[in-house]
Amino acid sequence: MPKTVSLFVPCFVDQLQPQVAIDTVKVLRRIGYTVHFPEDQTCCGQPAFNSGFWDEARPCAERFLKIFGASDVIVCPSGSCTSMVKSHYPELLKDTPSYNDAVTLGQRVYELSQFLIRVAQISDVGSWFPHSVTYHASCHATRELGIHDEPLTLLKNVRGLELRSLPHEEDCCGFGGTFSTKFGMISAAMGDTKAGNIEATKAEYVTSIDPSCLIHLAGIIGHTRRSSKPIHLASILAQEAQ
Amino acid sequence: MSTIPLQEFLRRATEKCADLTHRATIQRNIDSYDVAVAKGKQRFSDWEAARSRCSEIKAEAIAHLDRYLEQFEGKVKERGGHVFWAETAEDARQYIAGLAQSRGVKTIVKSKSMVTEEIHLSGALEKQGAAVWETDLGEYIVQLRNEPPYHIVTPAMHLTRVQIAQTFREKIPSEMNGEEPPQLVAAARRKLRKAFFSAEMGISGANFLVADAGMVAISTNEGNGRLTTTLPRIHVAITGIEKIIPRLSDLATLWPVLATAGTGQPITTYSTLIGGPRQPGETDGPEEFHVVLLDNGRSQVLASREHREMLKCIRCGACLNVCPVYRQIGGHAYGTTYQGPIGSVLTPNLKPSAGFEHLAFASSLCSACGSACPVRINLPHQLLLNRRDAMAKTGQSGSRTMFRLFRWTAMSSVRFRVMGWLSRKGISTAKALGIAGSKLDPMRPWTQYRNGPEVPTQTFREWWRTHGRQ
Amino acid sequence: MAGSNPQRERILARVRAATADNVPTTAPAASKAPIFAEIPDPLERFLRECAANLTEVICTRDSMESAAACDRVLQSLPPGELFFQDTPVFRSWASHVDSARTVRWSSGGPPSESTQATFTLAHGFVAQTGSILSSSLCGGRGASIVAPCHVVFGTTEQVVADIDAALQIANHDLLSASYVGLISGSSRTADIEKILVQGAHGPLRVVVILQAAS
Repeated sequence: MPKTVSLFVPCFVDQLQPQVAIDTVKVLRRIGYTVHFPEDQTCCGQPAFNSGFWDEARPCAERFLKIFGASDVIVCPSGSCTSMVKSHYPELLKDTPSYNDAVTLGQRVYELSQFLIRVAQISDVGSWFPHSVTYHASCHATRELGIHDEPLTLLKNVRGLELRSLPHEEDCCGFGGTFSTKFGMISAAMGDTKAGNIEATKAEYVTSIDPSCLIHLAGIIGHTRRSSKPIHLASILAQEAQ
Repeated sequence: MSTIPLQEFLRRATEKCADLTHRATIQRNIDSYDVAVAKGKQRFSDWEAARSRCSEIKAEAIAHLDRYLEQFEGKVKERGGHVFWAETAEDARQYIAGLAQSRGVKTIVKSKSMVTEEIHLSGALEKQGAAVWETDLGEYIVQLRNEPPYHIVTPAMHLTRVQIAQTFREKIPSEMNGEEPPQLVAAARRKLRKAFFSAEMGISGANFLVADAGMVAISTNEGNGRLTTTLPRIHVAITGIEKIIPRLSDLATLWPVLATAGTGQPITTYSTLIGGPRQPGETDGPEEFHVVLLDNGRSQVLASREHREMLKCIRCGACLNVCPVYRQIGGHAYGTTYQGPIGSVLTPNLKPSAGFEHLAFASSLCSACGSACPVRINLPHQLLLNRRDAMAKTGQSGSRTMFRLFRWTAMSSVRFRVMGWLSRKGISTAKALGIAGSKLDPMRPWTQYRNGPEVPTQTFREWWRTHGRQ
Repeated sequence: MAGSNPQRERILARVRAATADNVPTTAPAASKAPIFAEIPDPLERFLRECAANLTEVICTRDSMESAAACDRVLQSLPPGELFFQDTPVFRSWASHVDSARTVRWSSGGPPSESTQATFTLAHGFVAQTGSILSSSLCGGRGASIVAPCHVVFGTTEQVVADIDAALQIANHDLLSASYVGLISGSSRTADIEKILVQGAHGPLRVVVILQAAS
């Protein structure tokens, strides 16, 4: 079992939500892993792929395979970006020389909670977070990666945390990448429905393993003057008792 | 590419997204669907295996479509039925309208059929003077309101009992005997019963065409499908060529799966097979039985290996119900015969030049549709393929330039850092100037509906420079 | 009109060209996995499913009890015309019918618009879904759908476990019929606010008189 992991930081996390990646590093280090961050990484190409520009996405994928080619285990604090590499690279690189690399590398990429539970086999990372929290099951993590119990198990083992179940927890928050700007009114209506369900739990925090959902929810919650605070799972797990 | 369907879509979607009454009506409806379906799935010892089997049955049928269609046709003819193959909507309309005219048909009853919506059949029949009655209650309600079906299974899902009572008061006041659902159903029953017993022609769709038995399978709960196919002198069943299934025994899986995915029922109340006109020695039944097999773009879809799987669709409506976009904008916003994810996937392929490419983009790619599909059509993947095809077809020079820039940026970590810095500066400047969300804000497509993100003082990679070593 | 149909050849040619690349599609693993749990006691299951789908079942021990059950059903019906499938059992039961009622027999034509109840046999009963396997041979096509009440007589020997078994009966015996169907409860709709209302276009009431095997 390698005790070194390579960190795959989604582009928008690097630029807009660095704390998510910082907290991921803290958690991984706390449980004894050495974290490696290939600084040449940029974006996995998902925005182009999802927008129909596969020719623009393909070089991004090939570049990603080169940068992470030597990594034994790759950890990412996003279900969606993990799924892009794991589920969609093989499709995108079908009929290219990189296809086999895409398939084998895909088997080495893990979303953070998936890594902690399935690979590191740790369900209690020694966190302390004395707040009420509800969990939003993000789409790609739930339906493309089959992640469900992993984040909940981790949350249940956080000392002081009161987990409240979210009605329609698996419904989309409405982000959807460029969908959120191309069809803003639909995206916002979906977000408003989600925010309403979150509000109904009266939880102080809403957490998720997808930072993009959390950016969207933060925008919606702020815009509609609701009060729950979005927080990434890594940032809860990074909290320790004083 | 025509921009009219897109503009219409945006206008209607914007209207519905702001309509909280509409949202609540749909949510109530779909909440009860969710409960029923969850319960219904428990009747299977292995729902996932059932999905796989249905997927295999349909895939096999589609792979040998020619053979099974011919087998079906042969059996129907043996019982004295007629089979007409229609290449286009116009061909199908002409055949049925011609039949009605030559047989002196004045009154036509219809049981629910999305294919008749696809080919706009009722209008053509009414134009030559026939009275056309929709007999499925939901279809009848939307017909009275001059609306297209809102949902492929639940056509009047968007209406409350109050709205339906209002419609009935205006259109069939003499049948009204109260405004609660049982009384509204009774009013429609009384009105439509007269039509059933006077109609010379009954038009139905088909859920399946059973190749080895040469029978048309029709599922209805109300029994209108039974009456439509029993009482009039002529029965016409029309459906798409992809509805074929190889064997009668396949229905042992398909019937319960269709009912469960559609409404949560164990099986539809009337699961019916029609194989021909009244046979010698039989008590009753139509004198003539016609099956119209419609292509209308399906063989083109079949020719694409990538898109072929969408022909497995059994029109259960599950993908609409679980779709968060459908739940916000409703069925009419699409402007298509088939709504929701399956409509967004099918329409641009069945009607390549009608300008519905945008529908594939009107999705958050949340995959709920793919998980719900009882025949395992990979709907989110089909949406991605449609997006790719649309961009290849239309060029979309603005978007292409943007994604070329994206690629140029992502191919170098230096350029990525510079562009990231510019973007963050843009967001914080708009905030500082107090223009965030206004028309001057370059981030307006985002900030119009949401607050912009807080811009951090340093990026992760800047933090890593100082904290990278343990 | 039903004569030449050149489109047939064009459609078939396109379909053949499109599927020329077809690859074997059956994945045996999934095909063989059981989908439904076994039904250890079909009769018990049939009764339970009928209770759920609102089919009334009257269990009887012998022909005397069945005739008595029929009498009770007859007495519960509103005045008006009755329709019977023309078979010996119904000929004997119909002799009890109040003379004020008009009685029609399937040998003389289908039920009419004003028929209050129809009486037919069935080809089988399906435990899995509480369904009646019927066809145009059971008194015709209208016999099971036009009246507000449909009464079916059968025996427990006719109860089969599942839809698959019912379809096997259809495959062996009923392919010459113009209509075959499974009827699972009364006519119903939930098109208004998903509220279940019984008696949409077909029978409001479905009754099975189920006699124990002799």
